Amino acid sequence: QAHSNQQYVNCMPCSRTYVADAYADALTSQLSQHHDLTEVSDTTDLCKGLADELDVPTLSEVNRQLVGEGSHRRLIYSVKFGNFKDAMIQFLDGYDANLVIIEKLPSGVFADPFELQHFVERKVFLDVAVFGDTNLELPSALSNRSAVEIHFDLKTSTSMDYNLVIELPLHARYPPLDASGYATVEFGSPDLLLRYRRKETHPDPCMWAFQNLHVTPVEKAAWRIPCGDEAHTGFVSSLTFISALVCSMSIVLAASLTT
Amino acid sequence: WGKLLFSAADLLVGVFIDDILELRGVPARTRIWCVVAWLFNPFTFTIGTRGNCEPVVCAAMLWILICLMKGRVLQAAFWYGLIVHFRIYPIIYAIPFVIVLGKNYAGPAGRPVLTQWISKQQLQSNKGRENVEEPTSLLANLWNFLSSLITRDTILFGLFSGSMFFAWTGIFFYLYGWEFLNEALLYHLTRTDPRHNFSIYFYHIYLHHQQGFSSIQRLASFLPQLIVQLALIVRFSRDLPFCMFLQTVAFVAFNKVMTAQYFVWFFCLLPLILPWTGMKLRWKGLACALVWMGSQLHWLMWAYLLEFKGRNVFVQLWAAGIVFLAANTFVMIMVIRHHRHTPLFSVPVGPGTKIAAKKD
Repeated sequence: QAHSNQQYVNCMPCSRTYVADAYADALTSQLSQHHDLTEVSDTTDLCKGLADELDVPTLSEVNRQLVGEGSHRRLIYSVKFGNFKDAMIQFLDGYDANLVIIEKLPSGVFADPFELQHFVERKVFLDVAVFGDTNLELPSALSNRSAVEIHFDLKTSTSMDYNLVIELPLHARYPPLDASGYATVEFGSPDLLLRYRRKETHPDPCMWAFQNLHVTPVEKAAWRIPCGDEAHTGFVSSLTFISALVCSMSIVLAASLTT
Repeated sequence: WGKLLFSAADLLVGVFIDDILELRGVPARTRIWCVVAWLFNPFTFTIGTRGNCEPVVCAAMLWILICLMKGRVLQAAFWYGLIVHFRIYPIIYAIPFVIVLGKNYAGPAGRPVLTQWISKQQLQSNKGRENVEEPTSLLANLWNFLSSLITRDTILFGLFSGSMFFAWTGIFFYLYGWEFLNEALLYHLTRTDPRHNFSIYFYHIYLHHQQGFSSIQRLASFLPQLIVQLALIVRFSRDLPFCMFLQTVAFVAFNKVMTAQYFVWFFCLLPLILPWTGMKLRWKGLACALVWMGSQLHWLMWAYLLEFKGRNVFVQLWAAGIVFLAANTFVMIMVIRHHRHTPLFSVPVGPGTKIAAKKD
């Protein structure tokens, strides 16, 4: 159970709101997808105490699907906890617990921080942050990658029987040109962490404990986005400029001929 | 609260339209229809309610026009400097403003005299006796023309609005530094937004975004815009509202990026020229409206397929953009051909003044 599954249990001070910001710089230098996120956080003696004592919830099943059509789609996570209901209730009675999902977005896909803030305002998510390139206008070739971190409060999951469904709206950038007319963007595996701390007593200093929820790799999600074809450049550019010239000349002519 | 402010500005534009037309002597019945053309235009009131600040810009432009019509040059310059700082596009009106403020601006009382509107019936009977100035001939004496531009009013206007612009830019630069300068001004010079929009250039920009643009390409896209603006200014600047309207339509149509909110810029000027058009709603007016809206809907259909259905229709969408440009050109030409050219300010009639013949 918990002890045999004892993997990394790291801690972070409560003042550190997010996990992924430690990787904000690394993202732009194409860090490997499989790097274990929790290795970066600090470990202190206090933390070791937290780690040993209890039955931390584990996941039995995680599904991830890309849903929708066109340039605006949603990534839907379906997360099931493996513990018995009573064990979950007991755990959540004594601890504040959040599910942390970190999705490292591939190049060509971005999340809109303003849109995600609405989710926080409507209390769907506890918190959300986007790291990396958040310029919404640039095409893929001129932009950098980004990552999204979602905090989901497990207290609200009691009504769902501890089977969570989390939706992340995403948008596609204009991909680099390709002769086939379509570019396929693939998502890597998300990182799922459990963040928890004791409820009543707030030890000094306040610390969050993190449990990496190892899961079998999720299904690959792939997004097919239409892109321009370089072969069009010749006729598009020339016809564009010719049309502009013809229209402008017509207007000048009409203006000159008025009485 | 922003939406309330912009909606209030929208209503203010309606008030200003009524003011301007009243100053020019348009009867109340005609005025009502013109104001309705703005207030009930679905393109425009949705822009304010959705939170876009364009109605404020329109209100300011109309106020500047009112100030010029009432002879308040300094106030016009104040607002003009501010509005160019706020949104760059009104700079296209700079030359027409200076031309209009030239030698024949102020009447005998020191204030400008506005040419009053006359109905078509009166026009027929007044033929030959009218003091209607022809659009400035391209063969006019250039030296005379240029020297008429140097007057107390033009210098005052130019200096004051220019200082206002630099003052506001300076204040914001002091507050926000280089970030402000980049976002507000320099951005327009290096802007390459390849995402689909009404402009005919969007696909060209997308196809070249990885390679960058040569100077020839930049010049080639700027030239048609420049030619049209200059031609319109030279021909029509004396009929100021008409000139402003055409310049705005052309500016939007030939721009590298065109989005729906830009349409408001000329929709607020459209009611100002309606009393002088020979085009009736049936059928020429309706034809213009339908051609314009139809080509827009056509473009929107392809854009929907691209963005929301994920189909590769770039070429079709680009072609739809060209069709929309053709529609804009058609409407402009129709408006030009049916407009009764009437200068905003009357040339003061005196012994030394020539009364220009009505026809060439």
